[in-house]
Amino acid sequence: MSIWRNLIHRPKIRAHRSTGFPSWRLSVVLLVLVLVSGCAGGGGRHQSWPGLLESNGTLYVANLEHVQALNSETGKVLWGFPSEEDSGAGPFYSVPLLAPDVADNGLLLVAGFKDKTVYGLALGASPAERPDELWRFDGAAGQYVGTGTVAGDLFIIGNGDGKVYALNLEDGAKLWEYATEDRVWAKPLVIDDRVYVASLDHFLYVLDLNSGAELWRFEAEGSISATPVLAGGDIWIGDFGSKLYQIDLEAQEVVWTFEANDWLWATPIEGDGVLYFADVSGNVYALNISDHMMVWDAPASVGDVVHGRPALSPDGALLYVAGFERGGLHAIDTATGNVRTSWGTVQESPGRLPGDLVTDGERLYSLPIMVPARVQSFSLVSGDLLWTAPPAE
Amino acid sequence: MFDTAVIRPIINLMLLIYRYLGQETIVAVALVTLLLRVVLTPLQLKQQKSAKAQQALRPKTEELQKKYKDDKEKLSQEQMKLYREAGINPAAGCLPLLIQLPLMIGLYQAINRVLAATPLQLLALPSDIYRWIPGMSSLIPLKSQFLWLDLALPDPYYVLPVLVVISAWYYQKLLTPQVADADSQSGAMNKQMQIMMPLMTGFFAATYASGLAVYFLISNLVGLLQYVLFRREYATGNASTGPGNDKARKSDRKATRAKAIRG
Repeated sequence: MSIWRNLIHRPKIRAHRSTGFPSWRLSVVLLVLVLVSGCAGGGGRHQSWPGLLESNGTLYVANLEHVQALNSETGKVLWGFPSEEDSGAGPFYSVPLLAPDVADNGLLLVAGFKDKTVYGLALGASPAERPDELWRFDGAAGQYVGTGTVAGDLFIIGNGDGKVYALNLEDGAKLWEYATEDRVWAKPLVIDDRVYVASLDHFLYVLDLNSGAELWRFEAEGSISATPVLAGGDIWIGDFGSKLYQIDLEAQEVVWTFEANDWLWATPIEGDGVLYFADVSGNVYALNISDHMMVWDAPASVGDVVHGRPALSPDGALLYVAGFERGGLHAIDTATGNVRTSWGTVQESPGRLPGDLVTDGERLYSLPIMVPARVQSFSLVSGDLLWTAPPAE
Repeated sequence: MFDTAVIRPIINLMLLIYRYLGQETIVAVALVTLLLRVVLTPLQLKQQKSAKAQQALRPKTEELQKKYKDDKEKLSQEQMKLYREAGINPAAGCLPLLIQLPLMIGLYQAINRVLAATPLQLLALPSDIYRWIPGMSSLIPLKSQFLWLDLALPDPYYVLPVLVVISAWYYQKLLTPQVADADSQSGAMNKQMQIMMPLMTGFFAATYASGLAVYFLISNLVGLLQYVLFRREYATGNASTGPGNDKARKSDRKATRAKAIRG
């Protein structure tokens, strides 16, 4: 009773002209609210997790509020989706994906972060032609961060609600879903009729492609955000517990593990029997798949956080790695593990590079954040900056 | 500096609570909020006492303002003398709040970081974790699902924001002194505060991660509990309750006791 009395009855005080809530306290409270709102990361410009797909001379870029198509040679923007008037769909984190055999000129699949919707966009006859929305799927409860995979007539994508969705490429109808225990940010990998999908709940799930039924699962020590990689007939995957696992698909078990110096976030890349992978401290490893021997005497170091998947030059001589915090691009000699200091362009304000690197055999594309340039193109050979989009002033 | 001194300790405390108390993020958020509010209670009480004391002296300071309206220097001297005689430091009300502020902002940021709704937020976490404590990395990311909520996202049904607004409004109502003359400038300002503050907090609760709404709600509830437990310090009474009159009150009590003994 006394508690209620205390809550209900309060002393009434005599009125004075300047009594009440002191104005300095009001200012402080408002300052706190402004500060915390600024710190919440929700205000101001969205820092997207950009991704890019290159196909036949066109770049499809998921970035900030739009998915844009750019000419890969010039960086000229061809079109954007959604239109300027309809900006509620973005930002887009999920890398666009192309299903070339669907619709007349191919179907571009994009997924919105905020609006939790997958869009099937029918591409036009010319790259410059704006695509038409063929269908949309808004049945997921979470945000799309990772990209999907096309397998036959299915589009398979993980979501922030912890589920994996299989959609019909023709009309976007959901064919099956599978629930994991945490967010799915990794791109699913399809081998034959099996889907390998990693979740932040520490598990790699193996699902039946046609029904979504779970066949088996593997538990890692930490969360998995990287996409599983098929190399040498086995699955390779890294986790936040700093471990790289080699999983035998037939035996359905781990056959070999390697402990890196830090979290393994970036998806590894394979070339000529060597698996290249980087930890978040910037150590880059080259592992000979057949005998588990390291190719280099010591891991190469780029001196920065590495988060995006590296890329290989067409001849496999150079490995390109993006430094996240300092925004630098690094070319590592795959034979020696030495960073080529002569390669690259020095930029005054390079921004940050969170996403995967993409090459088309001629150019290297990066997607910086926190700078006006949203897409940059570099020469694979020299590292010279070729163009930026939007163009530098 | 702020990260190292404030945010990281809070983040790691939250991770340890999460690890050892059922691996529920909402429990970790609630307990850390509760803990910090409890730790800050003496400072808040000090702040309230100071505010209360200044409030009690207001009639006298107003008299001085009238008396020395043309002599600012004399006014300042007389005001300081008044505060000195009453044993009040005018800055004492501000100092506790300045100490609390970084901790509350740090807690807010820590909650925001551990929930990590986006890859960029999650990527920032490794540098915040005390990696020398074994197994901390494997806790990341914290489980964000709780009932209908994804704690990293806003509450889709607005249940938490509504609770935040109600609790903030009531807390504000209790904290703000009731003035008899509601039409006065201060009365109008108090009324505005009672509406604006809860609405603003509710807006943040509805817009940002629901884990932050949990923080607002727990903070308000702890504030209410503190009000109940330390009502004397919170009650911004009239001049007769101010510390400036402590001596008078004490002598009154002594006289009453002596009277009772003699009787």
